[in-house]
Amino acid sequence: MSLELLIDILIATVPLMLIFATLFAFTTWLERKALARIQNRIGPNKVGIPCTRIGLFGLGQPAADGIKMIFKENIVPSGADRLFHLLAPILALIPSMLVLCFLPLDFPWLNENSVKAFLLDGAVIFFFAITGLNTLAVFMAGWASRNKYSLLGGMRAVAQMVSYEIPLVLSAVIVVMMVGSLNAGEIAGVQKGGNWFVFSPWGFAAFVIFFIAALAETNRSPFDLPEAESEIIAGYFTEYSGFKFALFFLAEYIAMFAISGLTVTLFLGGGDGPGLAVLPWLSVIWFLAKIFALIAVMIWLRGTLPRLRVDQLMGFAWKFMLPLSILNIFVAGFAWHAEQLDNKFIMVITWLISLAVLYGAASGLNQLNRGKVRPREYKYAE
Amino acid sequence: MNEVIAFWILSAVAVLGALVAVRKRNLIHGVFALLVFFAGLSGLFLLLLAEFIAAVQVLVYIGAVGVLLLFAIMLTERVAGDDGRRMTSRGWPWGLVAAAAVFVLLLLSLWPVQQLSMPKAKDPSEFLTQISDPGYDGKFGTEENPEFGEDDRKPVEQLGRKLMNPYVVTLEVLALLLTAALIGAVTAAQGVRMPKEDDSPE
Repeated sequence: MSLELLIDILIATVPLMLIFATLFAFTTWLERKALARIQNRIGPNKVGIPCTRIGLFGLGQPAADGIKMIFKENIVPSGADRLFHLLAPILALIPSMLVLCFLPLDFPWLNENSVKAFLLDGAVIFFFAITGLNTLAVFMAGWASRNKYSLLGGMRAVAQMVSYEIPLVLSAVIVVMMVGSLNAGEIAGVQKGGNWFVFSPWGFAAFVIFFIAALAETNRSPFDLPEAESEIIAGYFTEYSGFKFALFFLAEYIAMFAISGLTVTLFLGGGDGPGLAVLPWLSVIWFLAKIFALIAVMIWLRGTLPRLRVDQLMGFAWKFMLPLSILNIFVAGFAWHAEQLDNKFIMVITWLISLAVLYGAASGLNQLNRGKVRPREYKYAE
Repeated sequence: MNEVIAFWILSAVAVLGALVAVRKRNLIHGVFALLVFFAGLSGLFLLLLAEFIAAVQVLVYIGAVGVLLLFAIMLTERVAGDDGRRMTSRGWPWGLVAAAAVFVLLLLSLWPVQQLSMPKAKDPSEFLTQISDPGYDGKFGTEENPEFGEDDRKPVEQLGRKLMNPYVVTLEVLALLLTAALIGAVTAAQGVRMPKEDDSPE
């Protein structure tokens, strides 16, 4: 391997890992602060600059947590499968780190010769293939711990991830269909100049389905059943401590960044935003800002919504999201043909019809899934 | 040279994974070893510049088949996996014969490839892309376009066009088959529906 190629690879990968690991530390702080405000607390506010009383809103908290995690004891249960217990956190981290390179982040230090994985013909399908490996890590952790709560958590995670992967991929198909490419750079490029996919009825429906499924894929609240602390302790990482636990934590947040990044690429125009003509490197800033906007919504949802029941979780995926996303593919297909005609009037009609169809389908499915729960009748109290 | 080193490493990983998958008593370990084999195979596809097939290999075999296998094991009784039963049966010579037969058949079907003249491509990796293309017709570099154009750099798009144009019937037949299998699986899982007791004439 030539040295130049090695340097190109390192330039393309190392900053990516460093930037997202730093953002991870910042996001844990942000999440704790935001949740605390939602619950009328202050949140972390003590750890600031060492040896002084300066608190800096607790911004030093991630560093303190990291140091604590490294020095904690690594406990492996005596009945556990030691090899798999060790491998699971590593297997969780690798895919989430790996898929970051498929995000169309055009850093200013990348030039013509740099290795850009997002320009790969098929980057989006690689993204889905590799994020699917997370499921295995979760299962491995649950099984290797030899703890029934871990195993329950692992099984829940696998069932949930397998179910929600289908609407996730099906809603991404719409964008791939419209662009005619699986190349992440090309998909982001098509949406330049405010021409984002989220600004069309089919794109908006796909965006909402994609985002909900992404929440479930990353085990975020309200879909955090695999780690439901009121039911199964901590789910699949019940038996993990110290740095292995930190690795799971890191993997989960990196996966959040990655899937938000893909949402931004597919629906929110990638690095598109004002001021790009003057300063091209702003695209990275815009991209990260959009990722953080999505993360903020995730934190907000976590502070707001209660956790789903298992049957509600499965029913929502199979009876609501799946039919809606399949219908959406048909709608997008008609819209694509209408776009080929290049006629303003036909486009307006298509918009109205697809809005009506999607809204009708969503409310109809909602009615069908309502179940037979009647309002409670009070016999003795009025 | 790099390709050769990568090929040997990936092949070694794949073969080791396959061996462990067959030899391990512990079922879960066996499944994960099988997944390592699939990953090695996907790496080999990547080495052939068949990136779409590599991605699909990971998506389907590791992501779907592997998880399905794990599910099936979880639904059986011996979850822990370790049991003292013997792994070898007396039928192993027949297995060996079958394996050898499959190997020879594959070799025979691959033989014509070697007989063909070398491609007109600039480097061997592009030759490999062309072979891994499902629309490969045994010829390299079309008559009117012996050099590789810009289009050949987009294997996924080519694959999509081939699937839609000459192979659309095959695709549809496969889709029908898979749908039939899906419906069959649902029916089999549902079981025979017993008539309700109050429906009976008594």
